[in-house]
Amino acid sequence: MHQPPPDEVRVPRVSSGLTTVLRRMRVPLIVLIVIFAGSVLGLSLLPGQDADGTSRRMTIFEAFYFMSYTATTIGFGEIPYELTTQQRMWVTVAIFLSVIGWAYAIGSMLALMQDRAFRRALARRQVARKVQSLVEPFLVVVGYGNSAKRLVRSLDEMGRRFVVLDDDENRVAAVELDAYRADAPALLGDARDTGTLLLSGITHACCEGVVALAGDDETNLDVTMTTGLLRPGLPVIARTSSREVAERMRAFGAWEVVNPLDRFGNYLRIIFRSPAAYQLMIWLTSTPGTPIPPREDPMPRGRWVVCGHGPLLEELATDLREEGIDVSVVEAGGPMGRDSARRDAEAIAAARLDEAVAFVAASQDDMANLWLLEVARRARPELFLVTLQNHSANAALYRASHVDFGMMPSEVIVHEVLARLANPALMQFLPRVPHLGDEWADGMIEKIRERCGSQTPDLWSLRLVEEEAPALLPRLADGLPLGAVLRDPEDRDRQLDVVVLALMRGDDSIAAPDDEVVLEPGDELLLAAQAAGRRSLDATLTHPPTTEYVLDGRFVPSGWLWRRLTGRRLEEGV
Amino acid sequence: MNLEKVVFGFFVLLAATLNFGFFIGDIADPALHSPWELFAAVVVNLVATVLKFGDRTQIGAVHLATSLVANVQLIAAAVIWTYATNVGGGALSAEETAVVVSLSGGALFANVVSVVLLVIETVSFQRR
Repeated sequence: MHQPPPDEVRVPRVSSGLTTVLRRMRVPLIVLIVIFAGSVLGLSLLPGQDADGTSRRMTIFEAFYFMSYTATTIGFGEIPYELTTQQRMWVTVAIFLSVIGWAYAIGSMLALMQDRAFRRALARRQVARKVQSLVEPFLVVVGYGNSAKRLVRSLDEMGRRFVVLDDDENRVAAVELDAYRADAPALLGDARDTGTLLLSGITHACCEGVVALAGDDETNLDVTMTTGLLRPGLPVIARTSSREVAERMRAFGAWEVVNPLDRFGNYLRIIFRSPAAYQLMIWLTSTPGTPIPPREDPMPRGRWVVCGHGPLLEELATDLREEGIDVSVVEAGGPMGRDSARRDAEAIAAARLDEAVAFVAASQDDMANLWLLEVARRARPELFLVTLQNHSANAALYRASHVDFGMMPSEVIVHEVLARLANPALMQFLPRVPHLGDEWADGMIEKIRERCGSQTPDLWSLRLVEEEAPALLPRLADGLPLGAVLRDPEDRDRQLDVVVLALMRGDDSIAAPDDEVVLEPGDELLLAAQAAGRRSLDATLTHPPTTEYVLDGRFVPSGWLWRRLTGRRLEEGV
Repeated sequence: MNLEKVVFGFFVLLAATLNFGFFIGDIADPALHSPWELFAAVVVNLVATVLKFGDRTQIGAVHLATSLVANVQLIAAAVIWTYATNVGGGALSAEETAVVVSLSGGALFANVVSVVLLVIETVSFQRR
């Protein structure tokens, strides 16, 4: 577990709406009281007559009653006796005064309700209260852009709770419109303001992590630093597109820094080695229920032309060269200016596209990329085209231009963050996948598809300890092979629909262990299955009679009485 | 000089003095307790309460609480007075007068606390 928040960090108090209402309503209410009191006083002092014509003044109560139904414009009409002219004159004045008083009071109230700042304050308080009252573990997601939206949708599917923080009113409003299953508090405010960040719950005992996906690096860095200082040890996943910022983030204990542009080269290298491994990795880090993605075509080996501008270009070229590819780097597609079109055309021509096998458009501007791709295609139609797709809104354009491989940073972020949040064991396993070979990855995909269907299965890790596998643990001493445990509790002849992706033992890890591997206490398994498979396995792990049946084929009644009657007992120690 | 403080002090003090004026005298003698004074006390107390709205300090909260107590007591007294004279028939009896005046006595206590708070606030303000 992470450290609890230090005592001195207090979540700032948010002004309650009530005090504001009361303060603003002071003058209207006093005006109303004075008008009312004056009217009542005047009415009860003026001489009147009763039905017999004897002089009689209204009592204070009668005057109060009369003014109550008159001033509120109810006009009940029932009066103790006919008014005298003097009284009528006074009542006329009183009516006008009280109408003004009421109009003033009600008008002030309505104006306050319409007030933007006031409504914002009310909403802020409501969200802060919601966050404070969360009792389940939740994540704080800073920024609600494209990638955050996808991420949050996936988290929601996985049944995780989250709090969204963004400084754009429309985006915050979008959280409500996006209709998540769980109630998603969305706070409007600048994440660089520590007070706002505290309101979003980073010091809350149930906060299990912070995901900083704001559009600009500064905000993300600020969030990382603040969290690192106020809640040391709390997992922080931050996005950045700059190396320097990434370093600083790491200095403040960022758990994981995701640099989507940095991943471009890595992804290309993985596909070079094994398209199946890439397919498996992408699939496993998708939202549960995602159909298996299509497999990328193998990348051609030969001379590659990498085109674009900025620091990304060199990094990409280095990554490709490490893979043993001959790379030509072309600076083009930068900001438009005088002669830029001519200079770009010359630079591309100098790269001798007709001898290349592939072309990479790596500009951080979608229009520039599309243009570069078009130029390359004209020069040599059979080129393998790779591109960076910066905005997901432009995906349709890239599809129309028939790109062979495109990488979308926002999608990369979602995959990377999800993999980290889903479980840490997955993050130990994933980097090893590309090294296991194409055949292995292909086999694994087939195996998962066979047992769990063609949608992303649930991934979870299981530690063979007393808390997680109480019924199985005593039996491990007999040298239990993995295959014996993965049987269906309904019919033990059937294989359980669960796939073991990896087995971690101490510092060792075995990828896709086979059925003969003997389990040991303390082993950690990374498992994939649909919900039904997971439930069945849980029964085997925790319910002793089920364990007995699965391991030995013996039926043991679960109740004490039937156990006595049938004389069948659980094995010793279970 | 702060006009807001003057108005505030004026109403808090006036609420207490009017209340006191109504309360003083033989508890069971209706002739010594004027209904007009009770009316004025209720109105001024209401104004004082509204003036205390929206202060978020601790002392402000206690101020508001004392005023609310005084209001409840005075309004209760006024209701009993009205009921006794209009429904119970004409004049106020000695017992009824005693109930009304003792209720206003309770309100007076709350008003005194209010005045004490006002003094404390003033003194501590000057010290700073």
